[in-house]
Amino acid sequence: MHATKPRVAIFSLSSDFGCQVQLSNFPEILDTLSTFDLVYWQLVTSAELPDTYDVAVIEGAVTTDEQVVLLKTIRETASCVVALGACAATGGVPALVRERGLLEEHAQTVYGPDADKVAKDRREPAPLSAYIEVDFVIPGCPIEPLEFSRVLQRALRRLVDNPQRQSLCGECKISENTCFWLMGTPCLGLVARSGCEAMCVSSGRPCAACRGLARDANLDAARDYAAAMGCDAVAFGELLAIYNAAQEYAREHAAESAAGTTGKREAVDV
Amino acid sequence: MSKLNIHHLARIEGHGNVSIEVKNSKVKEIRLDVVEPARLFESMIVGRRYDEAPLATSRVCGICSANHFVTNLLAVEDALDITVSERTRTMRQLLVHGSFLQNHATALYVFAAPDFVQLPSFFPLAETTPEVVQRALRLKKLGNDLCTLVGGRAVHPITPTVGGFTADVDADALHVMAQRLRDAAADAAATAEFFGELQTPRFDTTSDMLALYEAGTYAVTVGEIRALQAGWTRPIRDYPEVIEEQAVANSNAKQALVDDKPFLVGPLARVNISWDELLPSARVVASKVGLRPVHRNIFSAHICRAIELVDAVDRCAMLAEELAVSASGTTAGDSVAPEPFEVRAGTGYGATEAPRGTLYHSVTLDDRGTVTAADIVTPTSQNLASIAQELTAYAPTVVDYEPEDFKRAVEMLIRSYDPCLSCAVH
Repeated sequence: MHATKPRVAIFSLSSDFGCQVQLSNFPEILDTLSTFDLVYWQLVTSAELPDTYDVAVIEGAVTTDEQVVLLKTIRETASCVVALGACAATGGVPALVRERGLLEEHAQTVYGPDADKVAKDRREPAPLSAYIEVDFVIPGCPIEPLEFSRVLQRALRRLVDNPQRQSLCGECKISENTCFWLMGTPCLGLVARSGCEAMCVSSGRPCAACRGLARDANLDAARDYAAAMGCDAVAFGELLAIYNAAQEYAREHAAESAAGTTGKREAVDV
Repeated sequence: MSKLNIHHLARIEGHGNVSIEVKNSKVKEIRLDVVEPARLFESMIVGRRYDEAPLATSRVCGICSANHFVTNLLAVEDALDITVSERTRTMRQLLVHGSFLQNHATALYVFAAPDFVQLPSFFPLAETTPEVVQRALRLKKLGNDLCTLVGGRAVHPITPTVGGFTADVDADALHVMAQRLRDAAADAAATAEFFGELQTPRFDTTSDMLALYEAGTYAVTVGEIRALQAGWTRPIRDYPEVIEEQAVANSNAKQALVDDKPFLVGPLARVNISWDELLPSARVVASKVGLRPVHRNIFSAHICRAIELVDAVDRCAMLAEELAVSASGTTAGDSVAPEPFEVRAGTGYGATEAPRGTLYHSVTLDDRGTVTAADIVTPTSQNLASIAQELTAYAPTVVDYEPEDFKRAVEMLIRSYDPCLSCAVH
C-alpha cells in the first residue's frame, strides 16, 4: 500500500478557539498526525492554506458573509467536512444572541450608535449545516479529544458518521449521579446527546446540552416532565437556548422569551 | 512602493491582518486590523440569569476560559454582596494561577519559539530537539491536569459557581499535584534558560504598564489596579473610569487608553509591578538572565513569561499543599460549598490577572437576578493601542531587512504580546 496520506486543514470561524486549544493540549494528537498530513492550521503554524486538501475540520459558528464564501470554497475543495465543537455543530454560545432582540440592537449595545462603522460584516450566528453539507460532527463545548480522534479516524477512512442516538440520562445513571430534577434543579440531560459520560453532572453542574439534541430525544415528553417538576416551557426553552438557540427545536419558545415573559423555574417537592 | 500584507497572522489566537506600506525604505503606513468576528457577549447575556453569565462568558476565550469564568463570578458575587470562604478564594487563586502554566507554555513554545529558530511551526522541533518539545508538552499537561483537578476541566471549567464550587478537591489528589508541581520546577527553570539564551531583539517601550497589585502576594485574583509609571493605585470598581475603551473604525475590537495614552498589560507589566512579590526561585532566574525592574524591552515579555512559570509552579505547589492540609480539617472556613445569598439588584466588578494581562468584567442585575448590562475589558483590547504604537516605532528600525526577515520581525513584536483576538473582540 502506498496510498498518499489524507491532507487535513483546520479552519476557524467565530469561536473562542477552545476546541483547537483542546487539540493542542493533547499530545496524543501528535501521534494521530502520522496518519494524515496537517497542511493548514493558523493557530499553530505559519504554513499558508494550500489550494487542495481532503478533509476540512471547521471550528466556529458562521457569523459573517465572508465566512459563508469561505465555507462554500471549503465544501467545493474538501471531500469531507468535519464540524468541530458546539459552535460549528449547533451554533453554540455565539447563537445565543438570537434568543432576544435583533442583531443590530445587540451590536449597538456593544459598540454604541456607530456600530456599523466598526463591525460591519455580520449575520445571525448559525451552524455550518445552515450553509453547507457536513459529513461529521464532533459536538461539545469544548470537544472531547478522544472523540476527535475517533471521529477523525472515521473521516480519514471515509466511513460514515455514527453519532450517539441516546440522551444523556442513561450515561448519567451509569455514573451513579443523583438526578438534578429530584433535587429541584432543571437539567437537560433528558434530551442532550450522550457521549460525554455526564462529566458536568458528575462534577455537580446540571447538563446544558452543549452536545446538542440526541437523535432519539423526545422533546415534548421532556417538556411535560419539566413542567410537572416546576420548570415551565419558557424556562425550559431558555435553558436549551444556551447552546442551541440557532436550532428550530429551541426556537419554539424564543418568541415568548423575547416578548418579556420570563420562565419559571420553581422547585416542586418530590 | 512595496507592501507587507499578513493575512490572518498565524500562531496567535484569533484573526488579525497586518499591512505595512514601505516607500523608499521608509514605513508609510501601518495597519493592524482585527477581523475576528464580533460575538457580542456583553449584549448576549442581557436577559439571562446571574448564574448563567459566568458559564456563557467563559466562552469568550478557550485559552483563558478559567480567567473569564472566575472574573465574571467575582463580578456577580460583588453585585450580590456574597463573601466566599477562604478555601474558595484559595481554590480560585490556584485555578487562575494554574492557568498560567498551560498558557505560558503554549505562548512560549508553540507560538513564539518557532520564530527564534526560523521555522513555520513547533512540529519540526519534535525531530530536531525532542527534549524541548517533551518539556513543553509536560508543562502544558501539568497545567491542564491542575486546572482539571481544581475546575473539573482544562478548557471551560465546570465546578466554579456563584458563591463557591460545586465540588471540592480530594486531599490525596492535592498532595500528588503538589509533588508534581514541585517536580516541574526543573522544567520551568529549563524553560527560562532556553528562552534566556535565545537571541532576543531589544526595543524599549515608553508606555505605562498596568497590573493588579497587592502586597504580600503575586496578585492574580486579588488586589488593586496599579500604574507603574503614573504611580497611582485604584480599586477594581474604578476600572470603567480609569480605562477608557473605545470603538475604532475598521476593527471589531475596541481599544483602551489610560489618560488618552496607550499602555500595556501582561507578564512584563506584572513582573515590573509585583517584582518584590516574586518567589526566590523566580528572582534567581531573573537575575541569571539579567532582568531587573524597571525593564522596558517589549521582547522581554517572553522571558517574563518564563519567570512567571518558575514562580507559578512553586506557588501553585504551596497553594495545593495548603488546600490538601486544610481539607482534612473541620473548621467552617474549609468548605467550598456555595455560600447562601439573597438575589438583589446591583452592579458588581471583578478583575483577575489572566496570562495575557488584567481582565475586567462587570455585570448589573435587576432585583430578580436577571442581567441588565454587562461589560468585559480584556487584556488584548488593552494592549492593542500599545501594539500599534510600538509597531509604528519599531517597523522603521527593521525595514532594511530582507522581506522575509522584516515580516518575521514584525510578527515577533506582535507575538511578544501573545495577543488573543477572540478575547479582544468577544
